[in-house]
Amino acid sequence: MVTLIRQELFKLIHKKSTLIGTIALLVLMTIFAVFSKMQPSFSDPKGEFIAAYGGTSWIVFFMIAACSTIIAMEFQYGTIKELLYRRYYRGEILASKWITMFIYSLYFYVLSFVFSVILKVVLFNSKFSFSDIYTNDQSVMHVTLVTYAGNFVGLWLLLSLVLLLANVFKSSAAAISVGIVGYFATSIVSSLMFMLINKWEWLKWNPLNMLNLPSQLSNSTVIGTLTRLSNTELVWGNLIYTGVFLFLGYLIFRRRNV
Amino acid sequence: MDDILTVKKLNKSFGKNKVLKDVSFNVQPGKIVGLVGPNGAGKTTIMKAILGLFDFQSGSILIDGKDVSITKHQALSEVGALIEYPGIYPFLTGMQHLELFADNAAESKKDIQNIIDELQIGSYINRKAKAYSLGMKQKLGIALALLNNPKFVILDEPMNGLDPKATKELRNLILSLAKKGTTFLISSHILSELEKLVDEIVVIDKGKIIKQTSMEALSDSNGNYLILKTSDDTQAREILTAEGIELEKSDKLKIKKTSDEQLTGLIQLMSNHNINIVDVQHEQNDLETSLLDLLDNDQVKE
Repeated sequence: MVTLIRQELFKLIHKKSTLIGTIALLVLMTIFAVFSKMQPSFSDPKGEFIAAYGGTSWIVFFMIAACSTIIAMEFQYGTIKELLYRRYYRGEILASKWITMFIYSLYFYVLSFVFSVILKVVLFNSKFSFSDIYTNDQSVMHVTLVTYAGNFVGLWLLLSLVLLLANVFKSSAAAISVGIVGYFATSIVSSLMFMLINKWEWLKWNPLNMLNLPSQLSNSTVIGTLTRLSNTELVWGNLIYTGVFLFLGYLIFRRRNV
Repeated sequence: MDDILTVKKLNKSFGKNKVLKDVSFNVQPGKIVGLVGPNGAGKTTIMKAILGLFDFQSGSILIDGKDVSITKHQALSEVGALIEYPGIYPFLTGMQHLELFADNAAESKKDIQNIIDELQIGSYINRKAKAYSLGMKQKLGIALALLNNPKFVILDEPMNGLDPKATKELRNLILSLAKKGTTFLISSHILSELEKLVDEIVVIDKGKIIKQTSMEALSDSNGNYLILKTSDDTQAREILTAEGIELEKSDKLKIKKTSDEQLTGLIQLMSNHNINIVDVQHEQNDLETSLLDLLDNDQVKE
């Protein structure tokens, strides 16, 4: 299993898209930070820091792309046979890919956090300090960490769905599209969904509602009345759905003819 | 010695289409076995099933006495394979491919260098694989199949895209590995290639095994012929038929060779009837003819 993860990481490191994604993330974050410096009235420097200068949002796109290609790539290059005929169980091969993606997402989060701190120190050092109170008697740093955690859990709900769809659609393009469209769809259909939840209480357990976790964490009173779930319930909902989607992906992958 | 591979009554269908019908054959250790058949006969499907890539409806596959199926892969730890076309990551170099799949860190450096030398791929091994030609990719695929010193190697059309020189080198490499005890199962439709290589062949057509036989038995069974040219072929034919000597279906006087003394008898017979023998040719069937005969017979039976 360790061998498999090492091999997946080896491939990931040598892919051009990994380097491009990293550079793109840093450039985009810098642009957002400079904009916030120039127009503090439009974009609040503290809020931008908490959102990693847009970093956590960009990571979603990079991770959707990475997760949909990590399986589809093997089929596209015909390398899936080389992976599967060896002594490993199929479950191990799939799990090694999940773990690799998990490590990759952690890498992006740590990178965006560290770079946010650097940008803050360089551009906004005199503007605010990490211990300033942001909302609800919580410091900027505290809110930042909670937001990161919420985003991370939400991200993995989305990624588990992408990893499942990457299996169903057998093509990375379709899986990327569905992942990104699904990501936007949540905000479009959320008002409709909130209406439906108002009518049928049990609908609050649908996976789309779970994606509201990050926004509820940053604004729990307003969103909380709409999702009708507590923060804890949302976190568990996210984790359980993530597990379910990953398991469904495994069931499909296990029996797939190559 | 126990078989390294035993396939028993393997059945596989895609929907209603039966692609493998009661396929049974075996491979003994250290042998080079050819899997031969026309396009679409089921060669690749059999190989994929052996490698646990395919579900099958019934039957069993044993490698070294251990069951193999889509969920049981333990027996495949000492198997190397190249199926259909080589699986290559375009963003890695050839060397990185070998490093990626090498098992044992301590020995892998030496192992990798050996394979590079034997297949003569050193000149481009450090270039990105997306720039490789078909033949280069094929050689890298073969290198990957031979990596980690597998006991049993499965090669699907290994000569694809190789030039005559590379083909010969590959043949020598396979022969030398087989001498050291490696077992090979090789499919090909380039029959003249297999002929110089394999100890045994398994002939498959329309998902059925038609014959498993050693190369010697195959060439003996379809064997050697004498072709006579006489001063009067028409009369000679009548005489031979009258003597009860069986002639092959041919416009020439073609007789199956049964013994070394046969020719003397024929010459005597002809001279008794005042017919001169102008020329005698020996004809030996190559694998191709023998195989086509087999496939023809199979169609006749149906």
